[in-house]
Amino acid sequence: MAQKEIQKQAETEELRIGVFICHCGLNIAGVLDIKELIEFAKTLPDVVYVKDNRYTCADPGQDEIRKGIKEHNLNRVIVAACSPRMHEPTFRRTVSEAGLNPFLFEMANIREFSSWCHPSTPKEATEKAKDLIKMAVAKARLFRSLETMEVPVTNKALVVGGGIAGMNAALDLAEMGFKTYLLEKGESIGGHMAQLDKTFPTLDCSICIEGPKMVDVGRHPNIEIISFADLLSVSGFIGNFKVKIRRNPRYVIADNCTGCGECRDVCPIEYPNEWDMSLGVRKAISVPFDQAVPLIYTINKDYCIECFKCVDACGARRAINFEQEPEEIELEVGTIVVATGYDIYLPYDDPLYGYGKYTNVITSLEFERLILAAGPTVGKVIRASDGKKPHTIAFIQCVGSRDTNKYPYCSNFCCMYTLKHAVQLKEKYKEDIEVYVFYMDMRSNFKGFEEFYQRARELGANFIRGRVSRVFEVPETKNLIIHAEDTMLGQPIEFEAEMVVLATAAIPRKGTDEMARILNVTRGADGFFMESHPKLKPIDAPTDGIFFAGSCQAPKDIPYSVSQGSGAAGRAATVLSKPTWKIEPIIAVVDPDKCRNVKTKCGICAERCPYGAIKAEEGKPAQVRAAMCHGCGTCVAECPSDAITQMHFTDAQIFAQIRTALESNPEDKILGFLCNWCSYAGADLAGTSRFEYPPTIRPIRVMCSGRVDRDFILEAFRLGAGMVMVGACHLPYDCHYISGNYKMKARMDALAPMLQKLGLSPERFRVEYVSAAEGVKFAEVVREMTEQMHALGQDKIKVENEKLRPILERMLKRKGLI
Amino acid sequence: MPLKTLKKDTAEALTLEWILHIRKYKLALDKNLCVGCQICTLACPKEAIKLEKQPKILGEKAKHAKIDIDLEKCNFCAICDILCPYGAIEVTVNGEHLLSVVEKESFPQLIRDIQVDASKCPVDCVECEEACPLDLIKVTWLAADRKTVENVDSLSEKKGELQVKIDIQEERCPCCRICEFKCPEGVLTVRKNFHGKIDIQPEKCPEGCTDCLDVCPITGALYLSDEDKKVHVNEMFCVYCGACKVVCPVEEALELKRTSVRHTPVSSGAWNKALERLASPVEISKELKAKGSRKVLESVEKRLGWKMV
Repeated sequence: MAQKEIQKQAETEELRIGVFICHCGLNIAGVLDIKELIEFAKTLPDVVYVKDNRYTCADPGQDEIRKGIKEHNLNRVIVAACSPRMHEPTFRRTVSEAGLNPFLFEMANIREFSSWCHPSTPKEATEKAKDLIKMAVAKARLFRSLETMEVPVTNKALVVGGGIAGMNAALDLAEMGFKTYLLEKGESIGGHMAQLDKTFPTLDCSICIEGPKMVDVGRHPNIEIISFADLLSVSGFIGNFKVKIRRNPRYVIADNCTGCGECRDVCPIEYPNEWDMSLGVRKAISVPFDQAVPLIYTINKDYCIECFKCVDACGARRAINFEQEPEEIELEVGTIVVATGYDIYLPYDDPLYGYGKYTNVITSLEFERLILAAGPTVGKVIRASDGKKPHTIAFIQCVGSRDTNKYPYCSNFCCMYTLKHAVQLKEKYKEDIEVYVFYMDMRSNFKGFEEFYQRARELGANFIRGRVSRVFEVPETKNLIIHAEDTMLGQPIEFEAEMVVLATAAIPRKGTDEMARILNVTRGADGFFMESHPKLKPIDAPTDGIFFAGSCQAPKDIPYSVSQGSGAAGRAATVLSKPTWKIEPIIAVVDPDKCRNVKTKCGICAERCPYGAIKAEEGKPAQVRAAMCHGCGTCVAECPSDAITQMHFTDAQIFAQIRTALESNPEDKILGFLCNWCSYAGADLAGTSRFEYPPTIRPIRVMCSGRVDRDFILEAFRLGAGMVMVGACHLPYDCHYISGNYKMKARMDALAPMLQKLGLSPERFRVEYVSAAEGVKFAEVVREMTEQMHALGQDKIKVENEKLRPILERMLKRKGLI
Repeated sequence: MPLKTLKKDTAEALTLEWILHIRKYKLALDKNLCVGCQICTLACPKEAIKLEKQPKILGEKAKHAKIDIDLEKCNFCAICDILCPYGAIEVTVNGEHLLSVVEKESFPQLIRDIQVDASKCPVDCVECEEACPLDLIKVTWLAADRKTVENVDSLSEKKGELQVKIDIQEERCPCCRICEFKCPEGVLTVRKNFHGKIDIQPEKCPEGCTDCLDVCPITGALYLSDEDKKVHVNEMFCVYCGACKVVCPVEEALELKRTSVRHTPVSSGAWNKALERLASPVEISKELKAKGSRKVLESVEKRLGWKMV
């Protein structure tokens, strides 16, 4: 809704506020003096009706609200009861059933924030509850009706990455009837799984089980594979993504290529096949492996000498076109599943193992191509140095993984594939080969894994627990001497092996940073994509409509990737199956008349928005793309000319709350700004857990700490607040709006020294990170701040305030806020 | 084993290698044989070979340019190996000198048409061996028992029974024809493989400059005239390798044009391109016309934007 209309609505309306006070059995009534609260509420401006209920959330209680709205013509409703995090949706529904806009409703949290946490000081608790109700009324007086927006949904999906996870997501989506584009960077779908020989713990042939699935994907009428292509850009929002893709030239016309391979046979040029981890070669015109889907040949112009023998061989099929150009494709999709997978770490930079230096040191993925019957050695495990089968092979685990200097995380599947290699070798070469595994911990914690470990032991693989400290090469034999510590024996050992296989870390795929930028999703400290919530939204990206599948989020084995692929498809279907998508109206709105970007180049909002939802084109007012806005309010606080407002959390509303809270005895109060997801929830938990703390704090709920404007702090101190606290989610990753807490921190880090310079005792302004689980911490912080406040003493606070007030007044006046 | 790519540059040789777990590609340039001509640099389809001119030191003879090969660009196709007139480059796969481009008929071989009829050789004559500017010819004598005779003079009376044998290291022969001309009996017939035109305009040559002559590997192809003290050409022996052109300090003083290359028959885009760079688009169109490859000719014309007469 345009701001001017809101203004108009405000001016013409006569306010009729109803306050419903809940006993919550004895949960509230047992501590607070309900009668006093009722009488108090009646005295508040524009309050025309006050009613108490034993249980407001129960049907009779809700009936009372509906009745009240109808009979007393209420246009604002306050429920003073539990936390809004508990019952706000319930009561919003209740008021809208009675014909009132759900955003004309507010809760005063007098249970978690008062009766439950101050049981031994009922008088003070009642006073606090009064303030809470008063603050709710003050805010509600400024409420405006808001409409939930609906955007149309394009019921097509894009899956980025054609590995086993992406393939499964695409297949499931296609089966549900949604048109699905499967974007693959490489020449063929299949991913890492198609490179593997066998899968653990069943020893199924990998390509034999994946191949048919690849064919299914290729043949499905609802799936369009876009292979050998790059994702260029993604714009738009949930339900309405616009995607730009560049299809790279294969110099072979897909529709004409029959996959016969006659061109490959005549091609004279060979080059190292990356698919084979460069153990073998492929032709300049070829497919990476025979089962490739789509089966289209590709010319590698880096190596091709353009003899055109392939053109002759292709003949009448005319599939080869040396003048093919990159092609840009634009797609419109409703959701995006990201399944970009992982890379294997190649430990060139780790001198410990001599990888790249010693001929007979290889990685496990190279070993995989070596033992694979369709691989470059037709399944013969041979040493590169002499082409002979080794008699002793040492496997070294956790190369790069679980290494604080490299990749601190566990790569998940290395233990199991090494067990698989051990079993394969033992079954293939029996007594003719000795297998030694140097490991830190053997992690075999899924179905059938432990039994597989047992099988490897029974087959005679030797396990040595201990970290390898160094590998040396014997120059004459090219054998390798391994220095390690056997922690079972508690002594260093030296061991000679003819081949060393390194189980290296699974690392974020090359280009993950670029992909994160294009998709506007975040990455964790490990570099993998960050899910929206590690427990309850493990598949969702923080950006609505984008979902993760497979190892792009963290290393995963095949069954896990497959399940996550299906999970992502299911999550995507929750969007795609709807004709429209509802968008919460608690979003940021720009006042084009105030926006500075019209005259000077500003764009601060666009830069600070964690979601890239704001567009600030030169000479034009900034524009919030409503469907992309998550309603954190960071831009509102950052805007230098106060041109942005957050609906339902406007500056005016929050100022009203601040002023109401500090109306009486401000120097005895702590004003707290609590972010909805962590600190507010933490404060709720303190109440639910009955952690008692002094009733000094007057909390104001904001969606994100990023919303806390410095003007709020200035206003609080101008009004003489004893203490001010900003509560946020923990750094670095807890913020529910990606980085709102960081933006707040930067802002407050600059503000605090300024206030101190003006004469404020440093302890009077505090930024605290409280998670939703840290009820104890919240109680502790309030207790500590109260003690500090008392230690400073009213007099000192008042003196400081007197000194501060004129300066703050001037600052706020200049902005027209007072 | 991960792919290893190596480049080694010593005084004797430049070697490039791809070492894969199961295969080893190697390109070796013998610096003693390389004359710093243009052929490989022009022929390389990946433009991986560069010529590095050597600075001239006052009072010393000019040095021929050195070649450098970019490991990033080289694809071990062996076209340089095939075309090098002096046989300075060898590409091997797993130690074997297999030319995949030739085997797959995607590149021709250079024809070295050297006919020797040693039966006509006078026993005492070693003219060809002495004449060869690259020391590629070895004359030996075989006794009736097919054994090599070491000292011919010691067998003076039996000389008539000796059989003369001429061994030529053909793979290194640039076919300059000097041996043919020096041979008194017409035993040797050599046909050039690179044809063309070379022209020096002495009036443009700087005073006292003999750089082209200094680097020319074929004795007699260039000579210093006693009259004007300038370098002149004897086209009879020139192999059109272009080593002289590379070092010539003055533009247009030395013009070199190749017109054709004698090669085994082939229909290959790679060869057409190589020829285009070695000779000129006109020459390639002539060759295509001769072959009747109308379609390819059309595409060449389309690319160049003009029509062949």
